[in-house]
Order: sequence, then structure tokens, then C-alpha cells
Amino acid sequence: MIKKKTEEKKSEKTTSTSNGETIIKMAHVKKSFGDLVVLKDINLEVKKGEVLVVLGPSGSGKSTLIRCINRLEKIDSGEILVEGQDIYSEKMNVHELRTKVGMVFQQFNLFPHMRVIDNIMLSPIKVKKISKNKAKHTAMELLKKVGLEDKYNAYPHELSGGQQQRVAIARALAMNPDVMLFDEVTSALDPELVKGVLETMKELAKMGMTMIVVTHEMGFAKEVADRVIFMDEGYILEENEPKELFENPKNPRTQSFISKIL
Amino acid sequence: MVGLGFQIDLFVRILPELLRGAAITIQLTAFSVAIGTLIGLFMGMARISHYKIFSVPSAFYVEFIRGTPLLVQIMIVYYGLPALGVNLDQYTSGILALSINSGAYIAEIFKAGIKSIKKGQTEASISLGLNYMQTMRYVILPQATRNILPALGNEFIALLKDSSLVSVIAISELLRRGMIVYSRTYDAWTPLLGVALIYLCITIPLSRAVQYIEKRWEIHD
Repeated sequence: MIKKKTEEKKSEKTTSTSNGETIIKMAHVKKSFGDLVVLKDINLEVKKGEVLVVLGPSGSGKSTLIRCINRLEKIDSGEILVEGQDIYSEKMNVHELRTKVGMVFQQFNLFPHMRVIDNIMLSPIKVKKISKNKAKHTAMELLKKVGLEDKYNAYPHELSGGQQQRVAIARALAMNPDVMLFDEVTSALDPELVKGVLETMKELAKMGMTMIVVTHEMGFAKEVADRVIFMDEGYILEENEPKELFENPKNPRTQSFISKIL
Repeated sequence: MVGLGFQIDLFVRILPELLRGAAITIQLTAFSVAIGTLIGLFMGMARISHYKIFSVPSAFYVEFIRGTPLLVQIMIVYYGLPALGVNLDQYTSGILALSINSGAYIAEIFKAGIKSIKKGQTEASISLGLNYMQTMRYVILPQATRNILPALGNEFIALLKDSSLVSVIAISELLRRGMIVYSRTYDAWTPLLGVALIYLCITIPLSRAVQYIEKRWEIHD
């Protein structure tokens, strides 16, 4: 099953560049909030086109880890490279970094005073200075992709949570990012709405998008992830292909976590 | 016994004069709130800035204005500024004092309004590549302004009443006109009660309007 999927992905990825290229590299990353050390020594590499799922109990630092990658959090020490560039170097423009690294949040965070289409068009127009017509065209295409083209004129509060989250994904994609970060994007959804969001993410993975996904959805991890990492207390304790990690966890804490959630 | 000494016929006779005063009162208030809103917007943003160079002066301004009587502020502007070589007419002095005063209160309103917007909104905005000013302009302030509109309305009402204090620098607003009638007729009761009545006729509909806005937007969220 997994093998078949990877093959599928490879064949679809002919347009993207070399598969082995590292797009994100974290080395000895440490981060604390006051006295609480959240990330202790994080070393991680993500390859272009890879789908990485981050697992771990709450408070293990998963969300903080991905929030460091687009500098929503500032790390205390260590190094993060995105496309080979140190994100804390002088010449790194943080706004440019964030256009390359899209992010989707647990609480959707759509702008409630804007219609769906304007939510999606805001950043392309204001940051990328794309013409309104072109931005609208792209936005409509993205809405079609997430199955919500008929909702373009709605306000966020008129949509279900699942629909809002799909709009949020479209909004992030509108900047044409190289990497997408997903921070527990289905955790705030009613169970029956989770599937649609996961489908959208699956589609995205199929198209070769590089994704880092913090989630508790084991089904998604098994089916879509190329690699799973397990975090606890600020460390990455184990990383492996999903099948291996779920069926044959090595670390005792991974074992106990997996046994609790499966 | 007729109306406890309230002379209707006198009131009717002086009504046009009082209404001219009321017009000045409204004008003064509208100008001052408009300028005060501008001051308040920037001071409110400065107040929550991470940069001390903005937040400290803003805090000082707000504390000074809120900690001193408006009457004193009016007198400083009108009688004090000429000592620095700044001579303003009464009307300009009145607007200046009221604007600076309401600016401090409105700064606090804006501060609270901006803080009331969830952190996720800012995070979503900057994660899309927008910078601080763009985030403020397109994401935070439109929502904050909406939230604070009732509070701004109440500030307008408060300032409308407080503007009676500029009568001390001889601006012929509502209260001052009432006092002029009093000195002319030696009847204090009728003109002053009339003045109060006219203030009420302005403030009651205004506060109803504020309530209406408050209610309508509550449902919409």
C-alpha cells in the first residue's frame, strides 16, 4: 500500500526538481518559553516533495517545532535552513520567508470581515503585488481544487469548520509556497468534517507538495506520510517510515504512545 | 406652581438662541472627536508597540490627560499657550483642548480594541507574508474598529457633555448661551433647565443609536 503510493507520487512528481534535495534543515535547535524548555535539541531534515508527519503527546513541542520554521517563534540557539538559507541571517527577509512557507492553523484563522475570495486574494495582491484579476483567477482555481468554488462570496461564519479549514488551505496555497506547515488542522473540527480536510491534504501530497503535518490522525499518517517522527519532551525520539513506526516502534515511549492511540 | 417656576413662554422665546448654541456644541464635539479619533488611533497603536520610543510617550500622554481635569487642560491651552507665543482664538483653543482630551480616552479604546482581536489573526496574516503595518491596516484595525464603535459612540456622548466646560473661555456654545440669557433676565431656572433639556434631546437618541449598533453586531458575530 505504502509502496504503491510512493511510486504514484514519484510518477506525478516529474515536474518538480530533484527528489533528494533538502528543503528544510534544522540543527541543534533549542527553544524555551521562560523556564520551560520546549525544544531541547532538534535535528531534522526534510526533502523536497516529502510528507513528514509529526507525532507526539500534547506538550511535546510539535507545534513549536513547525512554528519555528516560519519564524512565528524565535529559536534560542541552533540553526534552521530553508532552501539552504539560514532563516536568521541578515539578508533573510522574514516576509519573503513566510511567502515560501505556507501555514495552516488549528483554529483556521480566516479573516472574519472578508469574504472567502478576499481572504485568499489579500496576500497575493498586497505582498506579491499581483493584479486583482489574476489573483481572483488563481483564487477561484484554488477554491475549485478544495471543492468550494460556489462559496467564494460567502463570509467565513457562513461556512462549516471543515469548509473554513479548506479555505484556509487555499489561502496559504495562493502564495504558491514551497513548503506547507499544518498545525493540528483537524483537531478543532467535528468528526464528520475531518475527512474533507484530509482529502484536500492528500491531494496536495499527491501533487508533490512538501508538507510537515502535526496531527493525531493516524490514518492520514499511515496512508500519506513518507516519514513519521515521534516527539516527546522536546526531543525527536524516533523517526521512520510510517509502517515501521506504527508496527515496530523501538523507543519505549513511542511504544506506549502508539499503543494508546491505535 | 406652573412647572415649578419654569416659564414656558420665556423658554420658547430663547429657544432659537439656545439652539444656535447647541449647533456650536455639536460642531465642537464632532470636530474634536474626529481629531481625537486620529490621535487615539496612533496613540493606541503606539501604546501597545514593542518599541519604547513609541509606547513611553504614549503612556505619558494618556496618563497626563486622564489624570488632570479637562477644565485645567482648557485653561492651559487658552491662557497658558500664549506664554509660549501661541495665540489661538477661543474656538480653536476649545477644539484643541477637547481633541487632545478625547484623544487620550480614544487611545485607550483603540488599545483595548486591538487587543480584543485574537492572536491567531495576526499570526495568520504575518504567516501569509504581510508586514506589521499591512496586518494592522487590512486585518486587525477593520475588526477592531467594528468592535469599538459603541465605545467610540459613548465617548462622543461624554465629550458632548464635557464640551460645556469650554463656556469658561467664552465660546458661545449651549451652556454659555443659557448663562447669557440668565444674566439678561435674572431668571436662572428657565434657561438652565432649558439647556439641560436640550442636552438630553441630543444625548438620548445618540445613546439609543449606540445601543442599536451594539445589538446588531452582537448577532452578526
